[in-house]
Amino acid sequence: MTELKFVFGDPDICSGCMVCVNVCSMFYSKVIGPTRSRVRVVRLEPALDFALFCRNCEDAPCIEACPEGALSRTSKGIVIVNNKKCNGTGACVEACPYNAIHIHPDTGKAIKCIQCGQCIDRCPADAIFMTTTAELAERDKDGRMMALHEKHKKELYPKEAKN
Amino acid sequence: MFGVGGEILWVDMTKGKIEKVPIDEELVNKYLLGAGYLSKILYDMIPAGTDPLGKKNILGIATGLLTGSMFPQASRHVVAALSPLTDVWGESHAAGFFGAELKFAGYDAIMFTGASSDPLYLNIEDSKVELLDASHLWGKDVFETDDILRKDHDRQFRTLSIGQAGENLVRFSAIMNDRDRASARSGLGAVMGSKKIKAVSVKGTGKLEVADPKNYLKQMDIFYERMMANPFTPGRVKYGTTSLVEMMQHIGRLPSYNMKQGVFDGYEKISGEAINEKYLVKARADFSCLQRCGRYTAVRKGPYAFEGGSPEFETQSSMGSRCGNDNLESILFGHHLANQYGMDTISLGGTISWAMEAWDEGLLTAEDTGGIDLSWGNAETIIKLTKMIALREGFGDVLADGSAAAAERIGRGTEKFVMTVKKQEIAGQEPRAQKSMGLAAVTAARGADHLYAFPVLDEAGFDKEIKERFGEQYLPEMADRLNPKYKGIMVKECEDFMVMVESVGLCKYGTQIPPEFYYDDIALTLKIHNGLNFTGNQLQEIGERIVNLNRLFNARFGVTRKDDCLPDRLTKEKAPLGPSAGEVVELDQMLTEYYDVRGWDQETGLPLKETLERLGLDYE
Repeated sequence: MTELKFVFGDPDICSGCMVCVNVCSMFYSKVIGPTRSRVRVVRLEPALDFALFCRNCEDAPCIEACPEGALSRTSKGIVIVNNKKCNGTGACVEACPYNAIHIHPDTGKAIKCIQCGQCIDRCPADAIFMTTTAELAERDKDGRMMALHEKHKKELYPKEAKN
Repeated sequence: MFGVGGEILWVDMTKGKIEKVPIDEELVNKYLLGAGYLSKILYDMIPAGTDPLGKKNILGIATGLLTGSMFPQASRHVVAALSPLTDVWGESHAAGFFGAELKFAGYDAIMFTGASSDPLYLNIEDSKVELLDASHLWGKDVFETDDILRKDHDRQFRTLSIGQAGENLVRFSAIMNDRDRASARSGLGAVMGSKKIKAVSVKGTGKLEVADPKNYLKQMDIFYERMMANPFTPGRVKYGTTSLVEMMQHIGRLPSYNMKQGVFDGYEKISGEAINEKYLVKARADFSCLQRCGRYTAVRKGPYAFEGGSPEFETQSSMGSRCGNDNLESILFGHHLANQYGMDTISLGGTISWAMEAWDEGLLTAEDTGGIDLSWGNAETIIKLTKMIALREGFGDVLADGSAAAAERIGRGTEKFVMTVKKQEIAGQEPRAQKSMGLAAVTAARGADHLYAFPVLDEAGFDKEIKERFGEQYLPEMADRLNPKYKGIMVKECEDFMVMVESVGLCKYGTQIPPEFYYDDIALTLKIHNGLNFTGNQLQEIGERIVNLNRLFNARFGVTRKDDCLPDRLTKEKAPLGPSAGEVVELDQMLTEYYDVRGWDQETGLPLKETLERLGLDYE
């Protein structure tokens, strides 16, 4: 199961421009708006910019959590939302440890990164890339990127504000 | 209209009332948004005799039509009011994320009228807009204010605020946003301070619907490819504007020792290369920005240790060469302090360098300065004065009103060392080495300014663009930075274009330097983003209309041709050293050509009746 792909960003390289966010909301929702995007960008001092995507967890707690069974993994290993089944309960949002799945304000359905790569092609800083757990370990040999994500997880993955 | 927030917030600080008004589409057709829209509103509402720091001044904060769009570098907002530094039109711009966030919350602009007796801040969360008590924020610096507001509300809020300098009505105080972005020129932080507005915090969860969603991304891909392929982009990423120090030294355009000369022996020590070598942490971008000229640097130890936003060329020259200071760590730290207190580094360095020259000439003594040594290059003094000016302590209180006011107060012949136009300090372009910059500094509506026109086409071999934008008949003279010929025509064209760019919320990097995007690209984007149908020619005419309206605003406050002047040093004393030695600014010649092509009266320097009629300003 180590072949599961996900998009990851280098917080030391990312400039924080939000082009990925805009590309995503335009590509899928035909609007510009971070709340309609499947990627978030969080700027932290000192000098860190995190582009945050679905991490495609092996155990995918979002799939388990959905009472409607709207989330499933495709044969290519991508976790997708079945809009016909999704009722926008938000159980997946609660379950996601990476705050990487959200309810789209217009459709009321869950949205998440499906590793399409549209943003990667357009990142002006080449800061985001498609990877797997094994590949990332290879690329991030000294553990710098993972350590930064780990160190700041409280700010990066806050629980959604209750409304 | 597509692609905008849709409403303007009118905030009456006296009564504490907030009103939401839809944007006026008729005004948009004549003035776009951003700088143009504010020009019209403030022209209509600020009468002659208004006190810039009184209740009747109005402070506008506006986004452009394309702010928050996907066009490269569409991050910008503009602030405007009657300036307390120049007593004429005051305007300043910044990048960041504040503008886009305001749009996502559903607003295109905020207009502050009146003044509160107690400090307040405006908090915006989509449709919820409220004035809240800011007594706990008053006295805090810009970074502390940002920290507190985002802790009290939510990390994802964007903030705009003043530091102690704005509170203390320092006449070149800035309005800061997103921590280290500055709307610095014109002293509008003091207007915010006079109204007791400490900050604006905003969170928007909305969206911008675009006019042509089907073709939007396809078109943006074309713009992205052009921007990324532009030969300037890699250098911009690597150095931002910091490497201009080296470039300007090589053409003798690096203001040094209060503009006595355009070359500086210590230039290598304060260069872009020097910053990259030891201090650069990373390049940072603002919303939708592909060029990421923003810098983040750290000085790890010593008296100037800090970590944060980093200077661009203007601060390297103003707090560096202009003060004869080659201590790079002090420049980086001084810039950080200026951001923290919220001050314009150009006027700050310009004012300190005026004092240093007066000291050097023996006209200012320890008695005036309270014992502070103002020798050229005294880095410790520059840092000390930066704090004292922000807090209006001791001699800092004299300097806090800018060099023109300080010289008037001190007298003794120090007036001739004041390097200002309309009381605003001239920016980092020694104009004897680039004549167009001298003209631009005097014609800019906000007083000495390089950005109102930003005439850079004669700076670095843009012959091809000059040919495209003006015509072959203007070559080679227009491209020659030392030749005054055709500079009136060039500055006029550049002003029209640049005020239009400020009205759509784009950056001058990408439009003017490098000159990658021009009128037709912006017209196309206004169509697919906003659904507005303008031709390139119509956009040019709007730019021209805005410039003329700014001139009418200034005429109301007494400006005529006699105010369009440079310090004698630049027009009468030959540049003493370097590659441009022997040069002066032939201002009169250029100004006459400029008025001519503008359709302004040669005697008064004011728009002729037929010019106003042609632009539909005759009823203004």
